[in-house]
Parts: sequence; C-alpha cells; structure tokens
Amino acid sequence: MLEQNHGYWYLASYPKSGNTWCRVFITELLRLAGEGYAEELNLNNDIETGAIASSRLWLDDQLGLNSCDLSFSELDPLRGSAGQTAWLFAEGERFHKVHDAFKSPDSRNRPVVSTAGCLGAVYIMRHPEDVAVSLSHFFSWPLERCVQFLLDPTAALVPSERVGGHQVRQHMGRWDQHVCSWVDQRQLPVLIIRYEDMLCNGSTTFAKLADFLCLPVEQVLVDQAIANTSIDKLKQLEEKVGGFAEKPEGCNRFFRSGRSGEGAEQLSIPQRQQLAAEMADVIKRFGYERVEGDV
Amino acid sequence: MSTLNFQYQAFGFNLASDILLPELSEKLLIANEQNSISVVSGNYGNWPSIKASPHSTQCLQLAANEWRLALESIGWFRAVAGESLEYQRWDDSVSNRDLRTFLVTSGLGALAIQRACLVLHGTALERNGEAVLLLGRPATGKSTLSWCLQQHGWQLVSSEIVVVDKNMKIWPGIQQLKLWHDAAVALDLDWQHLPSVRRGLKRYALLGDQLNCLESAAPLRCIYQLMRERQQSKSEADVLAASIKSAQAFSQQHALLVLRNNAFHARVVRGMECEQQLFMQASALARSVPFYSLRVPDGIRAMKNACAMVDLLDPASIQEPNIEEVNKGESDA
Repeated sequence: MLEQNHGYWYLASYPKSGNTWCRVFITELLRLAGEGYAEELNLNNDIETGAIASSRLWLDDQLGLNSCDLSFSELDPLRGSAGQTAWLFAEGERFHKVHDAFKSPDSRNRPVVSTAGCLGAVYIMRHPEDVAVSLSHFFSWPLERCVQFLLDPTAALVPSERVGGHQVRQHMGRWDQHVCSWVDQRQLPVLIIRYEDMLCNGSTTFAKLADFLCLPVEQVLVDQAIANTSIDKLKQLEEKVGGFAEKPEGCNRFFRSGRSGEGAEQLSIPQRQQLAAEMADVIKRFGYERVEGDV
Repeated sequence: MSTLNFQYQAFGFNLASDILLPELSEKLLIANEQNSISVVSGNYGNWPSIKASPHSTQCLQLAANEWRLALESIGWFRAVAGESLEYQRWDDSVSNRDLRTFLVTSGLGALAIQRACLVLHGTALERNGEAVLLLGRPATGKSTLSWCLQQHGWQLVSSEIVVVDKNMKIWPGIQQLKLWHDAAVALDLDWQHLPSVRRGLKRYALLGDQLNCLESAAPLRCIYQLMRERQQSKSEADVLAASIKSAQAFSQQHALLVLRNNAFHARVVRGMECEQQLFMQASALARSVPFYSLRVPDGIRAMKNACAMVDLLDPASIQEPNIEEVNKGESDA
C-alpha cells in the first residue's frame, strides 16, 4: 500500500526536549534549499512538518470513527494501524512529532505508532533536570511536581478519561522508561540526538539529523538553518506572530531560555539526587552525570 | 435469518433493524415495507473479497459502494450500496451498546454517503421552524453547546453526523448527545444516573427521552464553524460573563473549504469514489446558505450563561463589528 519513497519519520521525544526546535530547523532547511515557499519563517503558518501522532482529527480520519468512543485500552492497540496512508493527503508532511512512549501499558505490547512504511525515528533527548525546569514553565507547575512527573511510571499527556481534547492520551511513563522505549526498540531505525549536542555541537548534530532524514546536507545550508533558528531568533519570530500557537494557556512564551544547565541551578540538591538515583542507569548511559560532583 | 423487529427513521430513510437503536427516531412497524435499509447481524467470513481503494487503512476497507470497518475487540461492520448495514460482534463480551455506537455513527454515515447524501460532521438544531448547523473539530464543544441551547427552546435535529438535502433541509438523524464527565458536572447534570456512551467510558449519553428532538426536516438558516475562545482575563466574573460572538460571513470559497474539511470522514468519501459528489453538493450548500465562525467561551459554565443572550437564527445580532470599519469610522470622525 505504501511505497518506500513515500515513507515518513517520527521525531520522538519526552516533552520539552527540543522537538519543536528540530521541526523548525527542518522547515527552515527545506526553505533555504528552495523546497519551501515563505519568504521568512512564520512560526504559526509554516511549521507543518506533519501531524502529531496523537492528533485526534488525524486518528479519526485514519480509523474511520470517533476516537472519543473508544477507551484508552481499545484505542492504544489500534493506533499502530494508523498512518500508513498519510502520504496520500499530506505529501511533504512526513516528519511526525510524537511524545508517546513507543508502547503503552494498554497497547498489548504493540507500538502506539504505525511502523509500516516508517523510515525511522529521531529520538531527541535532554537532561532530565533541564526538562523539569522547562516543564515547570510550560505547564505552570511547581518544580517538585515536575520532578515527580519525570519519575511517575503512569505519567501521560491528556491523561484524564473525563474530558475530550484535540489530542488523545499519550502515555510516557518515567523519563528513563520513555528513553529506553524508543532507543531500544528494534522495529525502526533510530537516530539518537541530545539537546545538549544540538546546542554545543550544532553543526555536526544537525548535519547528522539532515542526513538521517534524507534532507539537503550541504553544510552551508545546515549552518544557515541553525543560525536562523537560534533561540534568540525563535524568540523574535514568536514575538512577531504574537505567541506561538502551541503555547499552552498560562505560559508566557514557548521559546524561553533554551539553555542547558538550568536544572542544576534551580532544582534543590534532594531533587537532583532523587532524579540521579532513580534513573541512574539511563543517566549514565547517555552521559548525563554531572561532572562537578555537586550531587 | 434475523428478525427485523425494530423500525426507525433517520436522514429521511426507513430502517428495519434486528438490533435496538434508541439513538434513532422510532417508526411504526409496517410489515414488508419496501426500500428500507436493513440493519442485520452477519458473518464477516462470508463477505466477498473486494478490490480495496488505496485510501483504505488497516481498519477501514473501502471501495465503490462498499465500506467495512474492523475494530479489534468490538466487531466488524459493513455498509453496502446504501441498502444494508451488517455487523458481527467480536465475541459475546461485546454488548449491543458497543455495536450501536459504531453502527449509528460510522455505519450510518457511510450508508448515507452511498445514498448520494451530503454528510457532514456536526450537530444541527432547530427553533421557530429553522435549523442551524454547528461544525467543528472533534471535542470543540458541539454537544455541550447543543445541550445549553436546548435549555433555551432549541430542538435537536441530529448530532455527530448531519445530512443536508438538495433543498438545503436538514433531516432528523442521530438524536443523542454525548457529554464528557467534565461537561456533565459543569452543567449540573445528575451524571451518576446517566448511561455511559459505552461501558467504562466517562462520557454519558443523553437520549431522545431526555432531549427535545425534532421529528421532521427543517430548512437550514445558516452554518457556524465553532471555535473555543480562551479567556485572557483571569477574573472569574469576566470569564463567566464571556459572550458568544460570530464574525463576518465567510466567502463562498472559504465556506467550501470548511465544508470539505468537515465532510463526514473525508477518507471514506474518497475511498468510496464519492469525492465529485461531495464537491458538487458542498459547492451548492456554500452558494445557498450563509456561513459564519462562532466563537464560544472556553469555560462550560460561561458557555451556558452566554446561550441565554444569543439568537443564532439572527447572525447579525451576534456579529462583532468589523475592526477595519470601526477604525475607518473613527478616523473619518
């Protein structure tokens, strides 16, 4: 049904880990390479790299029903059968954002995203301490709640069965479970990139991303796209459109600091120790131990 | 052979069913009535193979005059040539309520498309002999607003799917409102005594006996595209006092685009090779009936309060002034 040359990719991450930055970078790279149309990037009109995998509208179209009529345990096993024919109506929109863990406790050991025709997944990872700080600004939650959220094996976006919404429930689990669910799965090729490397070693990291996604790889274009999507530039672009459309209520601005290391500055020592102790294996595996020996 | 004990009317069609469908309007039983749509249990293993359209997915198998839905743990459904709707339950644990949920929405919608109807995803209400149609993305509050409007004399014509005929009339269809738990609580409904849409869901079904429903077709006065408006003010009084507003009428071109996007399952329309039919019907509707956006407060209580102060049959009365005209008027002065 789906030919390989019409395949698609996932941009998978725990929330607030750099997923939107990647999508903006992809859009800008395509624009610079002459595949986009806009003169200058408009954050609210141009970042259409593909539907988020949890979009209710998209799932309803794929499944042919009203997904509000299904329980989580009925919907999650079905979600993997959505997506194969997305290219029919959205050619060019082939980079699907996803915050779900690869599988959920309700998905009967199946991926919650389609793997048929998928060419691979980019997994974007960020230090959990910095994720906690960014979550706190995004959701207007206290830091302690964010720390406990990262450690909650039942953590999810849109978790309530009592309200509808434009997106369906997205099970994430603990931060370390989320990471392993994507990087250790064997059904899709995966490129792991760290937010910290996007910041400190952008030229190489984004070039790898472009290569993996079969995008233009000319270094001059990649570097220009990085420059055009720096955090300062994104702040300006957000101001220009009067607030990024994906910003939740109560959040002053979507693009805030973008810095690495804020968690170390703002979390308490016990909070940092708890994250480090409970997720030690994954933190060590991906080089996230703090070297200062301050925890 | 199943016994077709139940007779209904929906979207102007007669249906004879072997399963109770309380979401539809009952009709007196007439033996051997011709041209009824049959709703019957079947055996999906006996369904003939089809050359599936490339618009098909794992769940949905589509071809001209053929719609099939396979739902793991629930059952198999099939609509054929606008004449019959068949179902088979997955196993004995599947209740009739489970089956009905998909028969009267996805199934009946596919059947109406096969019968060359214009089928839209929305909710229609009637007052004083005229109907309005509310369109909007899933979970934008169409059912909640409909319940609120019912408290002010509006009658439900159809929810979830709406059929508009070539004379721009809307026919009674699904006469049920589904409300999420948060809406039921905010609207002070006795949710503990309301049936769930399906077992285990925190979503409740309000059926015909709890609603004011229209029994005959009504001419369509106007169409609204529903949008929830976030309140900037944090003051509870301001939030509760938020109003419902509409904007200037859409251009025909924009109206056509919105209608196409709100067609009941665009994929199904394409897969059953009915896209041209949809385009012609939606174009005619866009030419004939005015189309507005309708911004409603995000809060459910605010939405309930605001309904008392609007007349959706008179879009001009709820239109915000055109900002450009206001500015021009001010500079002229």
